[in-house]
Amino acid sequence: MARGRSKAVAALAALVVLVGAACSGNGDGGDAGGGQSSKPIVIGASLPLTGDFSQPGGAAKRGYEVWAELVNERGGVTGRQVKLTVLDDASSQDTVVSDYNRLITRDKVDLLLGTFSSLLNLPASAVAERNRMLYVEPAGGAPALFERKFKYLFFAQQATAPHQADVFVDWIKGLPADQRPKTAAYPTQDDPFTTPVIETMQKALEQAGVKTVYSTVYPPETSNFDTIANSIKARNPDLVAQGAVFEDGVGMVRSLIKVGFSPKTLFQTSAPSNSDEYSKGVGEANTEGVFYTVSWSAEADYPLNKEFVERYRKKFNKAPEEDAADAFAAAQVLQRAVEAAGGIDQDRMADWLHANQVDTILGPLRWDATGAPQSDFLLAQWQSGKSEIILPKDVATADSAVTPKPDWKG
Amino acid sequence: MTHAVQTVILGLLIGGVYALLAAGLTLVFGVMNIVNVAQGALLVLAALLTFELWRRFGLDPIAAVVVTTPAMFALGWVIYRLFVARIRTAPVSMTVLLMFALAITIEGVMGLTWKNVFRSVTPSYGNQSFHLGPLFFPKAQVYGCVTAVVVLGALYLLLTRTWTGRAIRAASENLQGSELVGVNIRGVAALTFAIGVATTGAGGSVLSVLYAVFPASHYLWISRLLGIVVLGGMGSVPGALAGALILGVAEALTATYVSTRWAVVVFYVVILAVLLVRPQGLAGSKLREDVAG
Repeated sequence: MARGRSKAVAALAALVVLVGAACSGNGDGGDAGGGQSSKPIVIGASLPLTGDFSQPGGAAKRGYEVWAELVNERGGVTGRQVKLTVLDDASSQDTVVSDYNRLITRDKVDLLLGTFSSLLNLPASAVAERNRMLYVEPAGGAPALFERKFKYLFFAQQATAPHQADVFVDWIKGLPADQRPKTAAYPTQDDPFTTPVIETMQKALEQAGVKTVYSTVYPPETSNFDTIANSIKARNPDLVAQGAVFEDGVGMVRSLIKVGFSPKTLFQTSAPSNSDEYSKGVGEANTEGVFYTVSWSAEADYPLNKEFVERYRKKFNKAPEEDAADAFAAAQVLQRAVEAAGGIDQDRMADWLHANQVDTILGPLRWDATGAPQSDFLLAQWQSGKSEIILPKDVATADSAVTPKPDWKG
Repeated sequence: MTHAVQTVILGLLIGGVYALLAAGLTLVFGVMNIVNVAQGALLVLAALLTFELWRRFGLDPIAAVVVTTPAMFALGWVIYRLFVARIRTAPVSMTVLLMFALAITIEGVMGLTWKNVFRSVTPSYGNQSFHLGPLFFPKAQVYGCVTAVVVLGALYLLLTRTWTGRAIRAASENLQGSELVGVNIRGVAALTFAIGVATTGAGGSVLSVLYAVFPASHYLWISRLLGIVVLGGMGSVPGALAGALILGVAEALTATYVSTRWAVVVFYVVILAVLLVRPQGLAGSKLREDVAG
């Protein structure tokens, strides 16, 4: 009910924005070439620094900050220093809309960077589109974002939500016939991030001859996985592929251990990428052989990645989060667009990004006409208490995957 | 067949855990007519305290009960004296509002202290099961059930076999009458509330082992617990046990044979059904004002 109401409010807010944009029309702007090249480039963003998404929002802010620091040390972008203006949208769709309006119309920032989550990027990117400003967002891969065919929107990860596990499906298909799973179970949380991943995977694997013996979509409130694990055990599948956000991923592993069922292959969407929390949650010995896909790895040998990790550690005294790396990559995309366009020309930057590839710490990224990325996630696997990259081969940190998954260690 | 029996066993075990979590709520609800919607938040707080003791000192979550129970008792006492006592005679809706405000405050404090991340305590038995033929009994749930029986038994004995219990029941039935015969109303009320909160010590311990907890998880728990207490009959300790077992089994069977989507709805459907068919719950007794109303 609350969601319904907030949708209505968001729709109303969008309407207000629309009217506002129509009224303000073609005011100022277009001073890109002017004689102010010594002034810093101001980049505005609104992030969920408080509320439900405060953890990833805070990480994204730190990612942007590390990027700005590194860039400024190296002489800035096209010779100009960069300055960040980051507002807090409190994880609210209404606030994020007014924040981006404020950044564009009152603060008159030169460039925008996106916010965190599909929920917030959906309305925020519409504000940017109306104002014809490039909008590179670090986290928001729901298909709904790209169905609107925006010109100025770019998602700075490798793939949209439904395609996050394509790399794993390819890995399965590449296995010798006798090692390939014959049956599979697909439990997934009812979540805009996980359900599309699992649905796409299930379809692709069914076409490849893997029989579905169990599938269920459980609500986010589900806390007890013993019954689901018990049902999976009764079906005895070779592969268990779970659309897990976080706590449900840990809960499922613990329940599978309790019911005494260890599948030959276990894949989970996001849960295993929360390295410390995950291995503490399920017990380090039980992580062995668990597959997942991820947008970024500290170990991946992509340009600037090492510098990013080192600077982040030095500045914040902890290991960088995936969300921070995604934000860093989004800023890299923006930087590359400014450099390629030879200045701040929103249209030229958008056109260039549609036609070219950008090297980031997540690997090379490229986009289709709707701003949806066209690359592959990294396929990772837990091995000896550490997460290792299996694919793509050029940045792999492990020679081979652990398969079949060894039995649980209890 | 084994699958069906196993499903029922899992349901009964989780029902036992639910009973433990609901024990304090039913006590305060029935005896004091206070809907303590902060019970979920207090439960999560106790779970996080258990987590902290485990992380810092390696204290076993079940052993931690001897620390968390007195701590939660003291907190309950303070909450009663500082806040609840002031609106003791106000309409029930006021206490709901107050407790809700407390729940949100506790959630905020937990968010600041433990951050908005999932925490769970993982002792070696957390992932283990007892085996009996083809059946298995997860250890943590078994321990949770045993603790539930102990806590509920102690509450039942306290209410029915001790003078304090009699004073509590007398105060709940007739405030002025009990005061007239010498019951210290203020003391009894604070004690009841504090005991209710103290049960979260044991509940939080089991919660921290079975589930990953998060400051905002309390909304989920309080809604489930209300379902259990409404089904069992407000204030009835045996009723809470029966209600919890029924809901545990219903949830497990629904998840296995209907759909996992419907499993979480079971609690709310039951609240509606009980209110339609038997508003006083399974073991609750009709009060004069209910009939008059």
